[in-house]
Amino acid sequence: MTQNSSAAVFHNLPVDAYTSQDWFDREQRDIFSKTWTYAGFMEDVPESGHYITVQAGLNSIFIVMGRDRRLRAFHNICRHRGTQLIRAVGKTQKALTCPYHDWTYDLEGNLVSVPEEDKEFGQVDKSCLGLKPAAVDIWKGMLWVHPDPDAGSIMTWFGDVDDKLGPHEPERLIEYPEARTSYEVKANWKIVVENYIDVYHLSHLHSNTLQMYDHAKAEYQFVGPHFVFWEPPVSEFAKDQDKKLTMPRVIPEDQSGAWVPMLFPGIGIGASEDAWSTFVITPLAPDLTRVETRTRVADASPWEFTKQSMRSSGFWSSFGLRGKYEAHDASAEDDPMASGDFSKEDIYACEQQQKSLQSPYFEVGPASAGERPVLEHQLVVKRFLEGAS
Amino acid sequence: MSEGFHELTVLGTREEIGGAAKTVMFDVPQALSDRFQWQAGQHLSLRFTIDGKEVRRSYSISNSPHMPQPLQVTVKRVSGGLVSNHINDTVGTGDSVEVMPPFGQFYLKPNRNLRRTHYFFAAGSGITPLFAMLHSVLLAEPWSDVRLLYGNQEADSILFRDKLAVLTKDHAGRLALRHVLSRPSMWSGFEYWRRGRIDADAIADFINELPPYAQDAQYYICGPGGMNKAVRESLTSLDVPAERIHAESYGAAEDALSEVTGMAATAQIQLSGQTHSVQIDAGQTVLEASLNSGISPPYSCQSGVCGACRGTLVSGEAKMRARMALSNEDMAASQVLACQALPQTPELTLKFE
Repeated sequence: MTQNSSAAVFHNLPVDAYTSQDWFDREQRDIFSKTWTYAGFMEDVPESGHYITVQAGLNSIFIVMGRDRRLRAFHNICRHRGTQLIRAVGKTQKALTCPYHDWTYDLEGNLVSVPEEDKEFGQVDKSCLGLKPAAVDIWKGMLWVHPDPDAGSIMTWFGDVDDKLGPHEPERLIEYPEARTSYEVKANWKIVVENYIDVYHLSHLHSNTLQMYDHAKAEYQFVGPHFVFWEPPVSEFAKDQDKKLTMPRVIPEDQSGAWVPMLFPGIGIGASEDAWSTFVITPLAPDLTRVETRTRVADASPWEFTKQSMRSSGFWSSFGLRGKYEAHDASAEDDPMASGDFSKEDIYACEQQQKSLQSPYFEVGPASAGERPVLEHQLVVKRFLEGAS
Repeated sequence: MSEGFHELTVLGTREEIGGAAKTVMFDVPQALSDRFQWQAGQHLSLRFTIDGKEVRRSYSISNSPHMPQPLQVTVKRVSGGLVSNHINDTVGTGDSVEVMPPFGQFYLKPNRNLRRTHYFFAAGSGITPLFAMLHSVLLAEPWSDVRLLYGNQEADSILFRDKLAVLTKDHAGRLALRHVLSRPSMWSGFEYWRRGRIDADAIADFINELPPYAQDAQYYICGPGGMNKAVRESLTSLDVPAERIHAESYGAAEDALSEVTGMAATAQIQLSGQTHSVQIDAGQTVLEASLNSGISPPYSCQSGVCGACRGTLVSGEAKMRARMALSNEDMAASQVLACQALPQTPELTLKFE
């Protein structure tokens, strides 16, 4: 049987949702511009006068810390020509300025000075030319922005999952900079999310890379638009676990396991007994997605890390993480299926999935129980776009 | 009984800080429970007759409506203070006290969905409304945190010291407390954060040490004399926007203009559809003169805080010693507080709604 790709469906969404510019544009407008966007870790804006900019869907948003240590967020659009050049300057970093024509704002976004105002303009009514505010907050040690200054409390968005993400306290952990990665996946962002929340694939694609956790005992569900997930360690890994963790433990033993939620839209957290990582998915094009990961670990001395690494090495050399396929079955030297790296396995699966969506012969088969989250995520996306129209 | 006062029975009292203050708990009968609903931070006006003279004072309610406790005020003795000492010396269980329903614009209404960082700046008995507010946050605003900077002379004069210590322990992570002592005793083993006053340096250090986590930060100030003004100025110099700062004065008013004087005048007082002519002596307030003439406009705190005696100046001019109950918009609309208003023209007309 053949199908026209425009009529093809991927469970609950048309295949177009994964390939067309129109869907991409609508998602940018109606999902990524209307939800809280991850903007980094709280220490990215550590002091008064420090600032960062972040893209939130169609909006460039500027976050700056005032001398009261409170964050302010503004749309990074100079009210003169709209240039996205705003930066904080001056010794006290009390002024926000656009270097194009040096229009200057205070930390509340009020326009305070226009160079050569008399000569160039006669008079400018500065009171209606303040920077447009956006909302900013901190939650779980992460910075969040919302393009709408009246978005309301971040807890109306995250409150229901606040206590379901795991016992980790990211604020007490410190970043492990070497673990920071950024890469592009040649697939639609939803393919990357669906891969992240597909429970069925864990025992198969990752049969030799994530087998320290007991996927059959995974507990997971959607809570509103967000997905929460936990699974326990297998008994071999659970027994005397403190001798098997590669880094110092960061959560209580009775809550051991992998805590792997996916917050909407596309903000994954991957946390375990000894680490807490973010996995932030940003759509770049219908078939191109950026993934950025950052990791936090125990605030312990280098010696503690060395000790834990030495202590656990024996277990891991015998437990054996390895490629899905042996070298003799590998398609090439760099075959991700022989890499023994679960991230490479996932990227490969996502990209191969995206390719097939272009085929006029593409037709999706039945979804398993472990793939129910995939179907549910498609419904969340659908609801957002339908709700917006 | 006149306007707004109700007889309430004292359920019990408790001595605080070794008898220097007293908490008085009231039994609010079912029939009055709606009228006596309150928000943390509001106060009660009490009316007593002492040595044959009627006196009224307003005191902050010291507990939160979210606590399973009766309505209560905590009154610290003021040196030479007529009413505060009367309450501390004489009021006991079973007594009947005339109480006006809770009022006041300085309050914190908790919201379960909001996530805020509440900064409290208290000195001395200024803790009472903030003590109620911090309970409201801890009990009814579960996502929010409280940071309290609390100034006192010495460890033994700290109102609610033990209760605050327990709260800080029970709500570690949500309530942070820093004590500032101006005259710490050499012999006290009490551990405090720093010596001195709640000045600009202390405030900046406090905020740097405890920066806001939830970014909807709100700032509440309650202390005597010039403290509110000083804290407000310090916060403003740190770029805290004015609309996030909430303050209430204790004792002497924040911006009281004691040098304001008034002239003798004749006032036409419009009240309940009638117009009364009232002679005001030089230095007398409109309220004092009205009461002496036997007319009773609404009033309560007599310190410019509560706004109960608010009226509109229809003609003539008056200046106020204090006007915490009025916003700039109220002022622009010619509103005045009768208890603070001193005539500046020989004739004026004041209308009470």
